Amino acid sequence: MEAVLRHLTNILELLAVSQTDHVSEWDRHTTLRAFQWAEYCEQLHSRFQCNPAVRSALESALSDTNQRLQQALPSCSPVMFSELAQCQHMLLIHLLTNPSAPNSVIPILFPDPKTAAQDSQFDQNSLITCKSAFNLLCRTSDRTSYAGLHVEAVVRGKLLGNLLNSVLSRTGNDEYARTLLDSILHDSAGKPESLYDVIAAALLSPDDETNSVVPHFILAWLQEQDGCLSKLCKSLSPGLCTVISRQSREFKQAYWGVLKQWASCLEFDVLEGLWVPTSDEPVTFIILTDRFKELLNSGPPLKEETETELKTLKREAGDFNVKGICIWTDVIIQLKL
Amino acid sequence: MMQGAHVDLLALNGIVQSQKAFLPMVSFISVCPRRLERMEAVSETDVQFWMAKVVNWGEATSCSALLDTSRHLGSLRSFLQQVLQGLQQMSSTSEAMKTFPFVGQFLGRLCWNPCVIADERSQRLLLRCLSCLYSAEPLNAVEQKANMWIKNMLCHLISEEEGSVAHATVKHAGLTPKRYHSEALQKVVSLMTEEVIKSCNGLPNTSARCSNGNIYVMSTACAALVTCPQMSPLIGALLKHSMLCGTSCLNQEFIKEVSEALISKRLVLEDEAVVNLWCYSPSCLEGAAVSLLESVLSDHETMTQSLDKHVNDSLLPQASADHCHIFLTVSEIYRNVLTEIDENLAVRALIQVFTVCFLQRLTGQKTQDRLPLRAFFPHVMPSLLPPLLTAPSEVPREAWLDHLIWIRSLLQSVMENEAGEDVRAYQAVFQAWFLLVQCGYWVDTAAELLVLAAPENAEPLLWLLTFFHHPTNRGHQRSQQTAEAREAWTHLRMLFLTRPPPPRHLSAVKELLSSSLSANLVLHLFLNFTVFSHGPVSIINEINDKVLTEAAVKRRALWILASIRCRLNSAATRDDRVHSRLRTLQDTLLQT
Repeated sequence: MEAVLRHLTNILELLAVSQTDHVSEWDRHTTLRAFQWAEYCEQLHSRFQCNPAVRSALESALSDTNQRLQQALPSCSPVMFSELAQCQHMLLIHLLTNPSAPNSVIPILFPDPKTAAQDSQFDQNSLITCKSAFNLLCRTSDRTSYAGLHVEAVVRGKLLGNLLNSVLSRTGNDEYARTLLDSILHDSAGKPESLYDVIAAALLSPDDETNSVVPHFILAWLQEQDGCLSKLCKSLSPGLCTVISRQSREFKQAYWGVLKQWASCLEFDVLEGLWVPTSDEPVTFIILTDRFKELLNSGPPLKEETETELKTLKREAGDFNVKGICIWTDVIIQLKL
Repeated sequence: MMQGAHVDLLALNGIVQSQKAFLPMVSFISVCPRRLERMEAVSETDVQFWMAKVVNWGEATSCSALLDTSRHLGSLRSFLQQVLQGLQQMSSTSEAMKTFPFVGQFLGRLCWNPCVIADERSQRLLLRCLSCLYSAEPLNAVEQKANMWIKNMLCHLISEEEGSVAHATVKHAGLTPKRYHSEALQKVVSLMTEEVIKSCNGLPNTSARCSNGNIYVMSTACAALVTCPQMSPLIGALLKHSMLCGTSCLNQEFIKEVSEALISKRLVLEDEAVVNLWCYSPSCLEGAAVSLLESVLSDHETMTQSLDKHVNDSLLPQASADHCHIFLTVSEIYRNVLTEIDENLAVRALIQVFTVCFLQRLTGQKTQDRLPLRAFFPHVMPSLLPPLLTAPSEVPREAWLDHLIWIRSLLQSVMENEAGEDVRAYQAVFQAWFLLVQCGYWVDTAAELLVLAAPENAEPLLWLLTFFHHPTNRGHQRSQQTAEAREAWTHLRMLFLTRPPPPRHLSAVKELLSSSLSANLVLHLFLNFTVFSHGPVSIINEINDKVLTEAAVKRRALWILASIRCRLNSAATRDDRVHSRLRTLQDTLLQT
């Protein structure tokens, strides 16, 4: 174990150095060695990804080393455990993007396709082919036929669902699964809407509808992130939210919760005779009713459950039948229930 | 009726006449590669054409861009090959940039076109061009900039844009990017396959138009991806859809690429998908039939050993049994080849074995699905079908002679009408003769019977053999041919029945084999004597060694033996002695 931790530290140092100008001293031998270490590191990841005890030891070693390296080389980025699966790829990217990398190193990493063996460690052809094939096919299937989601989101969501499923299938990995989702959220900060699509697909992903481990986990995580669930529901179309509600009781409950929260942000403007938003939440009365309309159009049992819920909410708020006092009354009136 | 197969008969003829036709060309190229390359400079018009194209295509996001890219993939590859050759002759990147100023823009734009990148061959050419432009030791600013640019391109090719969901999900997926994308590809293929199959379930619908648009676009994308192994379920589903749909909703490039990839074995599809392709595209079917023929002709050593397996593996017999038009097309192609290439034993063997395999598949079908045999042989006198299409293995041995007499009398009656030299009469004779070639097992049976036949029974058998080898009365040589056949048979009987083999008959046989008009007939008879006569093995081997000396004769002999072997494989009982004779003879012929 000591040895493993030492090796891990070495690899992190290698990765850090590859981002600095010290890399200019690397020769062919050093480069190949570095990739060998990176490959070893990938094996570490695959062996211990789902083993909470060993993994947490590795994670704390990572954390210590990251801190130390940040102080010494501020430009290098910290490495998470989950990234270790792609150590060689990371190293390759560092060498490609680091202007100080020696010129002689690149041809080693991209050998002439004619002479190189097909399965050589540095053969990028199948990666490039699969990646562009995937891109190409996603583009051609632009008809949104998967509950309104684009096929790329569906695939990424399914893969995410599979990942979470395998991680959560062993006990003690909840924290790690949370870290994964946190990292993904952080790293896609540029385009959260696309991420929400992927999360929606992950919620829909288990082929076996009785397996609710992954949706449960994702929902719990969403609710921990401030305002995330609300943003997700806003970003996803009413139709999609309805489909997910049909499949997952938990999501249905959470979705209703979000709708209630949106409703609480609306106030009746007596002069205009309309319900208007009071806060920054860009929710209007129409948006709210559209959401409920979609739920009601979905058919049994969701239709009946939603009707019941609305009637309950109206009753609990005073059971008014006149417009302008209770939003639920107005919603019910609007939807002609 | 087919318009006529576009079979490159001259080329085929070339292969047939001389197996070694290719060698001189190859050695020429290996001796002076440089000179040839220098001659292929990159022309200015080509550069302008392709630059306009790549700018137009952009990132191939629109359907029309995708369509245009896939249409030009083949010619783009040729151009890239030229560019690569040009770059390889440059001594430095600076020189390359000066000689080919367009190359940076050109390659760069192509790297952003997934349709081009996804095509394995184009991808390799692109990467090789990039690697030519990379300088391990850059000498100036231009070369350093080029290096940086190339590194950027490579980065773009292997990773996603930072901050995107794609990047984030791949980064934390716990897999190498290669595995992630392989799984992603597999998933998207399976989702799209499901989509296509679902739309198949709605077919055929007579009212609404089927969702052709999307199918067409999908097939366009698949044209570039045909050799990607994960793609075969989607390709199969698209072909199935085309079968059910009836209208042509698949991209032509896609069909062409699938057909070429199947023939060159770069793609493996389920049998049903291949047959669907053939039903959808007559030219693909023709390609498959011609490819079978070419493969058989080009490798006589393996083919003569396992012709029936090879023919069955081509899927053509099974497809022919299931789809009458496929059988008719393939028969027509082979019939045309036979008329062009005279007296070719390899082609005849193929036709014979193909027909046998086809008939076997046909009997395997459920009776209610079976079409009448007339449907498969529409041009031939119907009375000929029952005797010829019944295999010798289905007729008791004692009845063979009578059966052959029956066949001969039917054929004679067809020939009697030929007397007026009327075109229709000629056609009838030709069709009858072609049916005899297809059912060559009866001719082989006649030859086998001749080995042990008494002289009074020989006449009809010799007639059949003569007709088989010389269907036309060209130059009015029929009487001479008949006489030669009888002469050959007489000599062979003497040769194989007398011990020791008399030298007079030995030399007579050799003479007939090398010089006469009926060399093939004589060889055919000779080989049957070798395999089926009852003498001691040592004597027979001795005779063989003295008679079968020339390489060309040996090759033809192997083909005749291949037909004999296929007939024996499906015989009712197995005669080990005969099989071992056959084996020994084949081995001896293959040795030199």
